Amino acid sequence: MASPLHHVIIGSGSAGFGAAVTLRKGDPDCRISMMTMDSLPFYNRYDLPQIFQGRSDWRDMLAVPPTFFDENRITLRRHNRVVEVDGVARRIRLAHQETVGFDTLLVCSGGRAYVPENLTDKLPLMHGMGSYEAVMRLYRDLPQGGHAIFIGGDMIGIDLMLMLVKTGYSVTLITTPQTLWPHEVSDEKRGKILAALADKGVTVVDSARPVGIDAGSDQGAARVVTLEDGTEINGDVVVPACGLVASVEFMLRAGVDIERGLLVNPELGTSNEAIWAAGDVCQIWNDEDKVYQFCHGWKNVRIMGELAAGNMQGTHRDFDVRVEDRIDLDEAGNIVSTFWEH
Amino acid sequence: MEQPRVGTDIQFAICGSAGDGTIAAGDIMKRAAALMGFKVIAFDIYPPEIRGFGKCISRIRISDAQTYSLKRHSDVLISLNDAHAIPHVGEVRDFGAVLFEDNSIAELPEGGHISAHIRAAQVPYGFGIREISEKATGLARSRNIAALGYAAGLFNMPPGIFHQIIAEKFAKKPRAVTEDNTRAFDAGVEAAARVFKLDDVSVGRPLSAASGADAVMMTGNGAIARGFLEAGIQAYFGYPITPASSIMERMAAALPREGGRFLQTEDEISAIAATLGAGYAGARAATATSGPGLALMTEMMGLGVMAEVPFVVAVSQRGGPSTGLPTKTEQSDLNLAVYGGSGDAQRIVLAPTNVEGCYRCAGMAFEIAETYQTPVVLLVDLYLSNRFETVIPPRKNIFAPKPRKTPKMGKGEEYQRFRLTESGVSPRSIPGEAGLTHTVTGLEHDEIGHPSDRLHNEMNAKRHHKLLPATHFPGLTTQKRFGDSGKVDVGLLGWGSTFGEILETLYTAQGQDIRVAVMKVVMLSPLPVDEIAAFMDDCTHVLVPELNFEGQFANMISGATGRPVTRLTQTTGAPMLVDDILAELHRLIDSPAPPPTSSHRTAEGVRA
Ligand SMILES: Cc1cc2nc3c(=O)[nH]c(=O)nc-3n(C[C@H](O)[C@H](O)[C@H](O)COP(=O)(O)OP(=O)(O)OC[C@H]3O[C@@H](n4cnc5c(N)ncnc54)[C@H](O)[C@@H]3O)c2cc1C
Repeated sequence: MASPLHHVIIGSGSAGFGAAVTLRKGDPDCRISMMTMDSLPFYNRYDLPQIFQGRSDWRDMLAVPPTFFDENRITLRRHNRVVEVDGVARRIRLAHQETVGFDTLLVCSGGRAYVPENLTDKLPLMHGMGSYEAVMRLYRDLPQGGHAIFIGGDMIGIDLMLMLVKTGYSVTLITTPQTLWPHEVSDEKRGKILAALADKGVTVVDSARPVGIDAGSDQGAARVVTLEDGTEINGDVVVPACGLVASVEFMLRAGVDIERGLLVNPELGTSNEAIWAAGDVCQIWNDEDKVYQFCHGWKNVRIMGELAAGNMQGTHRDFDVRVEDRIDLDEAGNIVSTFWEH
Repeated sequence: MEQPRVGTDIQFAICGSAGDGTIAAGDIMKRAAALMGFKVIAFDIYPPEIRGFGKCISRIRISDAQTYSLKRHSDVLISLNDAHAIPHVGEVRDFGAVLFEDNSIAELPEGGHISAHIRAAQVPYGFGIREISEKATGLARSRNIAALGYAAGLFNMPPGIFHQIIAEKFAKKPRAVTEDNTRAFDAGVEAAARVFKLDDVSVGRPLSAASGADAVMMTGNGAIARGFLEAGIQAYFGYPITPASSIMERMAAALPREGGRFLQTEDEISAIAATLGAGYAGARAATATSGPGLALMTEMMGLGVMAEVPFVVAVSQRGGPSTGLPTKTEQSDLNLAVYGGSGDAQRIVLAPTNVEGCYRCAGMAFEIAETYQTPVVLLVDLYLSNRFETVIPPRKNIFAPKPRKTPKMGKGEEYQRFRLTESGVSPRSIPGEAGLTHTVTGLEHDEIGHPSDRLHNEMNAKRHHKLLPATHFPGLTTQKRFGDSGKVDVGLLGWGSTFGEILETLYTAQGQDIRVAVMKVVMLSPLPVDEIAAFMDDCTHVLVPELNFEGQFANMISGATGRPVTRLTQTTGAPMLVDDILAELHRLIDSPAPPPTSSHRTAEGVRA
């Protein structure tokens, strides 16, 4: 009897999880290993803003009970950082010096917060929001009623900003051209949305470029953001919200094509037949527009994960890149988006 | 499943290879917890192989309420060596923590890293243990202490107390050792401050922090040695054997300092012979051994019974028969301890159930031996010998010997060393006392000690009857009942180290609304039969869990009371699991009550 196929998935977000479930359904005998840098089993990241409403026990956020992984024989390997992929020998290398072989590899490593070049050395002074731990740190470090400064207003950031003003914090948004990432909107719509944000209580500082972040004094503000024109804004925390950069560093020697993300065909296969990609990490070929494009948002990436897994097992389905991608104002002046529909 | 207790009740398991400092880290953790005022039970497992190879595990249970055994599930596992720790990941409970090296320098085969084995419900904490140690001290040697610091930081345990224990631990080494280890510890604490705690393990404040300063961490063997010393032991003769050797090691160090005599003899026969000789000469004398050694000692044990010489033999059981399992625990030398030897050679056998009991029994053993002029066996096992517990010893020595009374002879009265008295206890003199010359022999003898078969029946009766009051020896707990009073569905009878698991079972079962009581029997010879029978009267079922194959204690109980009992026996080399006892208890509850048997009625008749 041939030994069961070993599918390795890098990443345990929506895309990776959706893929693992599909793989198991498609093949009860295969081995599934899911490598992730996370500490927690799969949870919906879009639930994270609810921490500010007091929903802070991570166990309540899990998408499935932990036993799901045992029952479905999905080996979930947390605190595992993949540092290299060898696409020819078909093995991955982990930071702790372990090598794991694969028959097929699905890369679902998502992305991390983009930080403007001129501020990268200020990262230690910023608070991320990409994981449970990051948002919990933000929650812990932001005093009740305190002031959060957002650099950029991507969709994840806006979601969090609205939650913060709703729960009694004050928020300043320093906007950049990518404000509403990943949506592409007209200047007019952008203006309306910023106005709606201001209406909700967010202080909007438009068309300003931060050039410095400093730790404040013990007595004064914890953080001081300096703008290009010399204006200083005092706050308790600074959050980068300028969109994502795909996490692809470990793929650089894998022998697959990479632009900003991993380049995949509509079936989500890379240029190596054993390697696939899904989720925020990949750029998918759009045959209509003849470009590679990202498709973000939890619903899209979940579908991508499932579809890639199916294709790894022999189905041939294309991912439809014409995903619904809207941001609007409703009649009551609230910002609404397909991105936030859970 | 064990029921979670209110307050702090956490079990750490530290696992590494010999040479990783696993046991040292465990030692610091347990001493620090004890100093914080927690109750501590700990058990270390060493490899039988020489140093440098093999697995070491230190398990430490800390709690603010007294606990009685280790838990089946640990709350925290610290891996200092993944190859050894991987088989133990399963013992960590859901939402407990697994701490491990995530920056190893050696190439690992697939699955060789512990992260491949951590269940989704467990919380992983990977960190650069080696790196922390190297950054703090320049060397990787303090990895164990760095990991300990990380755990202390994660669970918010006060670093100052660890600093104190580290300083004490390395006091005899160059100062740099303490300084390096303190730095490694602090670096671990600092690393933990940067991580987000996701497990639900919490170390609260102990209820009685004040008692921390008075608490002493002891192993069962350490407690026996301390009890011997406080009782004024004057002579110790021994031959090393696992798991009893550490008693001898302590005696070798302490006894000469206290003005006593210590000698390592050429074998166990010499050891007990010398002990008997010293006892005969009036000294408080003891030896310690394990089952194979006791087998060799049985002849001299008989001589001690026959010649009515007081001395003490500590026996730490391991797996048998023969050389058996030197590093595994078992309770299968009960028959040997109680009956071993030729003839009807009844002696006193005490089996403490915890470390404090080891200390108390050892402290009182000489006085009991002298009172009844007989050998006393102190029966423990590897699990109890090596287990650490916090003990709060009395501030003043309560075991110091009382002056011995020299027999007073009337004018012209002949001294009879073996006089038949009402209590069976004869006037004892020691060699060299004027006017009290006597003969001592292993042959049956008359009242002055001359070989004779004339009084064999009377002498046998005397040697038995004189021991019976020992079951009520003042200040000694020879048996004790716990749990529900009155009639119960199940009563558990236990002895030795297994009683810890029995007590834990009791508390778990009570939490499940089962009417249950337990009785520990410390004096195994002579048996406190009346109390045991009264206890059994109250029980619909009687369950006797023990770590031997034949159910030696169960047989003894059944034989003494003539009543049926249910045996639960195991010889896995490990302590019995609370879950196993609980499962048997449930099985009994679900089964019909045993019909009264003729032996049952006969036994009542006998007792009446
Ligand atoms: C706070 C927050 C709120 C959000 N709200 C919404 C919302 O309302 N609506 C919406 O549609 N979307 C929302 N999103 C975004 C959405 O969740 C993402 O599109 C989605 O999470 C992307 O999923 P993914 O599986 O591609 O990657 P991710 O979920 O980002 O997961 C990436 C995985 O890859 C792992 N990884 C990365 N590099 C490595 C490596 N080298 N080795 C091993 N593992 C690696 C990571 O540990 C992680 O497990 C939100 C995200 C956040 C953080």
